[in-house]
Amino acid sequence: MLSFSVRTAMIKALPLFLLSEIDRQGKCMQALKALLSYMKPYWLFAILGPFFMFVEVAMDLIQPTLMQHIIDDGIASNNTGYTVKMGLFMVGAAIIGLAGGLGCSVYSTRAAVHFATDMRKDVFQRIELFSSRNIDAFGTGKLITIVTNDISSLQRAVMMTLKIFVRGPLLFVGSIIIVFFTARELFPILAAVVPVLILVIILFTKKSGALFKKVQEAIDKVNTRLQENLAGMRVVKAFGRQAFEKQKFANANNELTKVNISAEQLIALLMPILLFLVNMGIIAALWMGVIKVDNGSIQVGVILAFINYLNIILNGLMSSSNVLMQITRAFPSAERVQEVLAMELDIEEPSDPYDPRKIAGDVEFRHVSYSYSKNGEYVLKDISFQVKNGQTLGIIGSTGSGKSTLAKLIPRLYDVDKGNVLIDGKNIKTYKLQTLRETIGVVSQKGILFSGSIEENLHYGKENAALEDLKQAAENACAREFIEKLDEGYNHLLTQGATNLSGGQKQRLSLARAFIRKPSILILDDSTSAVDAVSESAIQKALKQEYAESTKIIVSSKISSIKEADQIIVLEDGEVAGKGTHQELLATNKIYQETFVTQGGVLGEYAKR
Amino acid sequence: MSMQKGSTAQTEKSIRFGNGPGRMSGPIVKPKDRKGTIKRIWRYMKKQKAAMSFAIVLVLISTVLGLLGPLLIGVIIDHYIMPKDISGTIGMAGLLAIVYLAVSLFTWLQTFIMVNVSLKTIQMLRQDLFDHFQALSLKFFDKRTYGELMSRVTNDIENLNSALSQSVIQIFSSVLTVAGVMIAMLMLNWMLALVTLLVIPLMFFATNKIITYSSSNFIKRQRDLGDMNGTVEESISGIEVITLFGKEKEVYNKFSDANERLRNSAMMADISSGFLGPVNNFINNLGLGIVIAAGALMAISGMTTIGVLASFVTYSRQFYRPINQMSNLINTFQSAIAGAERVFEIMDEIPDLKDSEQAIESSSFKGEVSFTDVSFGYGGQKRILKNISFEVKAGQTIALVGPTGSGKTTIINLLSRFYDVDSGEIYIDGRNIKEYKIQSLRSKIGIVLQDTYLFSGTIMENIRFGRLEATDEEVIHAAKLASAHGFIKHLPAHYETRIESGGTNLSQGQKQLIAIARAILADSDILILDEATSSIDTRTEIEIQKGINTLTKGKTSFIIAHRLKTIENADMILVIREGEIVEKGSHEELLAVQGFYYDMYKLQFEN
Repeated sequence: MLSFSVRTAMIKALPLFLLSEIDRQGKCMQALKALLSYMKPYWLFAILGPFFMFVEVAMDLIQPTLMQHIIDDGIASNNTGYTVKMGLFMVGAAIIGLAGGLGCSVYSTRAAVHFATDMRKDVFQRIELFSSRNIDAFGTGKLITIVTNDISSLQRAVMMTLKIFVRGPLLFVGSIIIVFFTARELFPILAAVVPVLILVIILFTKKSGALFKKVQEAIDKVNTRLQENLAGMRVVKAFGRQAFEKQKFANANNELTKVNISAEQLIALLMPILLFLVNMGIIAALWMGVIKVDNGSIQVGVILAFINYLNIILNGLMSSSNVLMQITRAFPSAERVQEVLAMELDIEEPSDPYDPRKIAGDVEFRHVSYSYSKNGEYVLKDISFQVKNGQTLGIIGSTGSGKSTLAKLIPRLYDVDKGNVLIDGKNIKTYKLQTLRETIGVVSQKGILFSGSIEENLHYGKENAALEDLKQAAENACAREFIEKLDEGYNHLLTQGATNLSGGQKQRLSLARAFIRKPSILILDDSTSAVDAVSESAIQKALKQEYAESTKIIVSSKISSIKEADQIIVLEDGEVAGKGTHQELLATNKIYQETFVTQGGVLGEYAKR
Repeated sequence: MSMQKGSTAQTEKSIRFGNGPGRMSGPIVKPKDRKGTIKRIWRYMKKQKAAMSFAIVLVLISTVLGLLGPLLIGVIIDHYIMPKDISGTIGMAGLLAIVYLAVSLFTWLQTFIMVNVSLKTIQMLRQDLFDHFQALSLKFFDKRTYGELMSRVTNDIENLNSALSQSVIQIFSSVLTVAGVMIAMLMLNWMLALVTLLVIPLMFFATNKIITYSSSNFIKRQRDLGDMNGTVEESISGIEVITLFGKEKEVYNKFSDANERLRNSAMMADISSGFLGPVNNFINNLGLGIVIAAGALMAISGMTTIGVLASFVTYSRQFYRPINQMSNLINTFQSAIAGAERVFEIMDEIPDLKDSEQAIESSSFKGEVSFTDVSFGYGGQKRILKNISFEVKAGQTIALVGPTGSGKTTIINLLSRFYDVDSGEIYIDGRNIKEYKIQSLRSKIGIVLQDTYLFSGTIMENIRFGRLEATDEEVIHAAKLASAHGFIKHLPAHYETRIESGGTNLSQGQKQLIAIARAILADSDILILDEATSSIDTRTEIEIQKGINTLTKGKTSFIIAHRLKTIENADMILVIREGEIVEKGSHEELLAVQGFYYDMYKLQFEN
């Protein structure tokens, strides 16, 4: 009889045939090969694992033969001493087999865990070197999945390969060989039954592969329905559409049940068929056996051994296809991991970096263009401007005008496609990366913070800052008041993603974090959008007074945030649509005037001019 | 065991290692009230009692027939092959073939039936759970993440499915097989039967030891895995900040610590759980060896026969295997029950908003709204609204302004009865809103939210969500009024353009226009615009404003906006601060008093 659930095995065996398809692409195989280098330091483990498994399998395979000898030589000749000896052999074989099994577990686990852990280390390190464009190529969600899930499934696949994928084929092939040598009289039965078994498994796998793909699609549909319903719960309730939603879900649910039933019923058919085939082999063995025993060519023990081997063959076949599934599932993972490792870093340290002791903070853009994708549409087109040290530059534009992208070019999160960005008259690409970024304080709209205390988060800006400096920076960012209201004050622990703070609080903390560096260049990218108006004006005042020497670049869609800037750039569709002070733009620039009016300004005399 | 099915996103979360065939998986969550939960599952399955009883009968028959196989082989060897009775052997083999055929047939039939029973049960359960979600109030959803609820419907129910369609039968047939084999062995040769039983205590002892040892390792590994995943998640999502502040090294060290800790604990956990397979294999082989050796010695002294020995070889396999698998099966079953328990937990949530028995259907509202002394808090001790009172005449436009978190949206939530007030009353057309049927109350109130949720489907379907029976012409008309027609016209398939889940292929402004069209189509009597234009830049806002004006014409409408410009023309402006109405009046009146509103206005528009 079969040892484990055939259904599970079947589902797992389903990509048996995808394997050949993947093989054709060859890409995964290449990725797999490249990743195998991580196995090199542990090659001994990787060899010892299968070796020990080989021992276990050999001992398993020897059992029926020993049994046969006991029956045919021991019992038949009433030889007690021989029987006892053989019995002890069986026990000995079991013990050696145990040692093999345990050894296999130890070494293949070691090989797999080391392999995956080292790989994870490298992948993580690589990702840290990624530029924002590199990251965009994957998306952060996908990168996280690669480091966590994909590498885990590779680890699992390696372990499976070293353990069970060795075991299954060995059992299968070993049994056939042993039958060939010790029970050749009954070998024709194997020659008939085994191909049929393989054929049946192949047929079912093919059929169920298609069916389970449909099941997966149906599951996805149910999940989508559910997820949309949950996310849109307020809308559903507001429009009173519960009945409508129930009906939609019921449709998806019925469909899922329907395809699921047909898939599972196909699987339910496999096990009895395989069972029947093997049992027919047993019948044939008895039939042939009695004739051969009659003419004296075999003894009865051979028949019993044969029946045992038949069972082992089936088990080996099932577990191989089962494990093959696990391994093929890991192929796409290997490909993704390799993609990360092979990603060309597009921003790297210059070979002879310029590392000045002090950067004054003059910023200049010369005919800068940028596109997120090669040959794609430019988000920034031919941008030129200059800001002197200590000045404030305002950049205003509607959503999608390219203003955030512009801000990210300065600390080299992205590199320009055309033109140059210069700081203190030198191309930023020549600067030492660390020096460049240390000079710049960036505050982004999202206000990303890390788990840990508020103090730790503020120290991010400057490691050795004194508590007094932290407090001053917090004060300037209008964050001091709320921090000190917290029970733990600066020791207040933030959760992952700082979910225990409001959007405005997060923005204020990330402002403080940038302030603490006293950077030569301060970039505020829509960083006060969630801060209330009273605090915002206080922050603006602090900017002016406390950071007079810093070059300030303020990106915003609100005129109130930038109107006091020394220079304002109006961005529209990635182009500079106007440049000047607030007054100048009000007098001359149509887009700026429109924005001003819609934000509640009264044009008055400016328009008349 | 059923990892490959179910939502990938969910299963990925519960990463497991090394649970190959017969090998164990991680620690098992035990159900709190097993009996009660099984009883409730039974209530679902009861409808298919007849089919299930039939399946159980089939299990019984196929188990007995399965026991007959080895017995027959023994008989054939002793009585036909040994005496070289060829025709007798062939005859008996024919009988055996029939037994085998029957076993296969019944095995198939019982699975066939159970698959149907369990999938239909699961379908009912899934639908009931979804339906129950619809009845629950927002208070319930506030406390839980989508991921958590999704996992109830996908993982928990899917686990239950595999337990019902497989484990139940397997546990049942395992118990039957063990009992049957024991009886058969005792009847064949009681001494040899006792020898077979010898290794059972060893088996229990070893299995138990390994499981205890490895589950403590598993807990450690699970914890380290969680830490590592958390570090990776945080580092990668904050990578821009890390780069900007040059903290790569520190972050790498933090990650490396977690990674190394995981290296050790993963190794320990996987090695120890990997021992279970070989140890069981050893005990099986040991048992087999002892049975054969003892049997052979007995055969030599004439106490048994080779045929009996042959039967015992097969029986001992049949006997050990279910015992080996029992712990695994029971674990699967237990975690399925625990999952079902979590599902029932949600089903037991009582919807806290219900129609009272005398609730009336409202055909239409004139639109008079009043709040008297309304106070409210979201569960916690903190009061979000304190003694809110105001009155609105039919057709008026009311603006709610104030800092974030002051309670503006909460007022709206109470008006649409997403939540019930803690104290005070809300009246529409002179009647407490609790006297209306919730469904009819909400259908008369149209809401456009800041976060416009669009469903996957066509644009036409999404707008029609506002009024399901609307014709295509009416939908297009509404879109035109909302000034959405302009951009829809330019989409590849116009109104039949499919919106991806969440509407990622449309801009925020376009989504907003669709939401407004939806509200126009719904043609409700009271309108609420909750920061409907806040995430849109000002120039797009002008465009949308036209749609909004059409929408609010002649209707009582509530507008929440943080751009004060958009609400200057309101009939009444309520200034909310820390849950209280601090000022009330028209734009001019409020400017004249030079209070909080005046300050806000000045800050926003000061030249």
